[in-house]
Amino acid sequence: MAVDLATKTLLHDKLRFFITVSGVAFAVTLVFVQVGLFLGLMSNASLTIDQIDADLWVTSHNTANVDFAHTFPETYVKRVRSTPGVARADNLIVWFMNVSLPNGAVEGTEAYALEHWGAWNFPRNVVDGNLEDLRRGPYVVIDDSAKKRWGAFAVGEYREVLGRRLKIIGRTVDAKSFTTTPLTFMDFQLAQSLSESTLRGNTTYILVKLAPGADVESVRAELQRRLPYNDVFTRGEWASRSRAYWIESTGLGLNMYITVFLGCLVGIVVVAQTLYTSTMEHIREFGTVKAIGGGNAEIYAILGKQATIAAVAGFALGALQAFALRPVMAKIDLKLIIPTSLYVAVLAGAIALCLGAAMISFRKVARIDPALVFRT
Amino acid sequence: MSILQTRGVKKHFTEGRETVTVLKGIDFDVDRGEIVALEGPSGSGKTTFLSILGCILAPSSGEVVVDGKPADEKHLARIRRQSLGFVFQQFNLFPALTAVENVEYALNVKGVRGGNARTEAERVIDAVGLGARKHFLPRDLSGGQKQRVAIARALAGNAPILLADEPTANLDSQSGTQILELFRALAKQEERALVIVTHDPKVRGIADRVVHIQDGALV
Repeated sequence: MAVDLATKTLLHDKLRFFITVSGVAFAVTLVFVQVGLFLGLMSNASLTIDQIDADLWVTSHNTANVDFAHTFPETYVKRVRSTPGVARADNLIVWFMNVSLPNGAVEGTEAYALEHWGAWNFPRNVVDGNLEDLRRGPYVVIDDSAKKRWGAFAVGEYREVLGRRLKIIGRTVDAKSFTTTPLTFMDFQLAQSLSESTLRGNTTYILVKLAPGADVESVRAELQRRLPYNDVFTRGEWASRSRAYWIESTGLGLNMYITVFLGCLVGIVVVAQTLYTSTMEHIREFGTVKAIGGGNAEIYAILGKQATIAAVAGFALGALQAFALRPVMAKIDLKLIIPTSLYVAVLAGAIALCLGAAMISFRKVARIDPALVFRT
Repeated sequence: MSILQTRGVKKHFTEGRETVTVLKGIDFDVDRGEIVALEGPSGSGKTTFLSILGCILAPSSGEVVVDGKPADEKHLARIRRQSLGFVFQQFNLFPALTAVENVEYALNVKGVRGGNARTEAERVIDAVGLGARKHFLPRDLSGGQKQRVAIARALAGNAPILLADEPTANLDSQSGTQILELFRALAKQEERALVIVTHDPKVRGIADRVVHIQDGALV
């Protein structure tokens, strides 16, 4: 064991250490919150696609994302069902509809209408009622997130959708759209009858489940051949296309990158400034290290270790703060998704940024004249 | 036999367009176990000369031989590690390290690690009479005690040559006398060469030889 000059010197000035760590923690928290919120929003943008158990999606040509659907004839599903390698195919309508509330207000809903709900494992979190009952009449299942905009509702009550009274027979949780419009679930034919002028005889998507062993690309190519005026996407492609639409059209991606960049910049400036000031204050000590036989390598190791300690401590504090913010965000319906890979990337980034910030100090100590130890 | 030797050492500094000659060709020898006081007025070049003796500065011309090895500019740091110990006027202790850790760190730089470094550091801290305060930080030590730690640091690692720059300048008279006596005893006991740059007349009392430097030359 050697004397740990780096750690002891760093911790000797606790106020400066706290300021350095705070700078890193600020950047780390900002990155976690911004990227976490971004991932949360993006997961909403493709949440329904991710949850529906379909291998392929048939959409109308050039549909930009799952929320803004366009119609095409529902009979196309027959061409899909007859395609070799297709195990199951059903029509899905995704359509915005108006809901008249008991207080006289009119709100919007994004309706998901399927012919057979049990086959697609969607929506995942049904907390009340049974989706299979939707086909039995003018019924609707509503996601709990609607309470925020529509006010309280309960199973057994009625809501008027496009002028027709529908009975609420169930509730779901965590079924959300990027648009924040509450999701409702109903029977396919009921949706068509609610908006006859556009939906009669039409669908907006065809969901496709492949037979075991079927080759995705071959089936997709055949579907595309049979439906030349539609697009066919794999689940991953469609989810990614839907997310990309929101990232590009709202500037959300750019906003996140700018905020992350600014957060990192502030972190670097704080760390660089405190490390540099600390280096200048300890310049005589570094001169002493050289005078007693140490080289630049020893001093770089000291500064590098100090930067790494500040990065790790700042990361821990920042991650803790971000973790503590999650329930607070959840209360205002904001999802903060922080995957393990983000923790690893931010830790590596924090260390890299702090070492980068220490480079200015490296340059300074490289030029230290050890003769300064003789100056008074 | 000389353990530290210079031949024709010159040092020039360039300030703008002007070149200032600080040392004008110094021949100097110190034997093992010898204590030499180097005196001179301010600006005479004694600190520059000490820096060259200590392999901290390279001469512009001339030769320095330390412990039988020519002080090649590329290997100055290695020579400092192996053959030289320093005591500074400002002590230059590491404020975040305790007395014994200050000594131990110097040993670490010299390549001595672990239990060996700690044992040797405690030995020299005891030798300078600071055993009871070995775990004190420099801020909790008096000036004299700090200088004892600095002497212990210079002694650690058995460097055959010790160089001291005004070691009593920041000490009161009594502490200065004690430090000089301690320095002499330890240097003689272990046969180390000691060069002390000083203005302090008390140093003459412990020196085997007094050398004067004036205007960059020994007189």
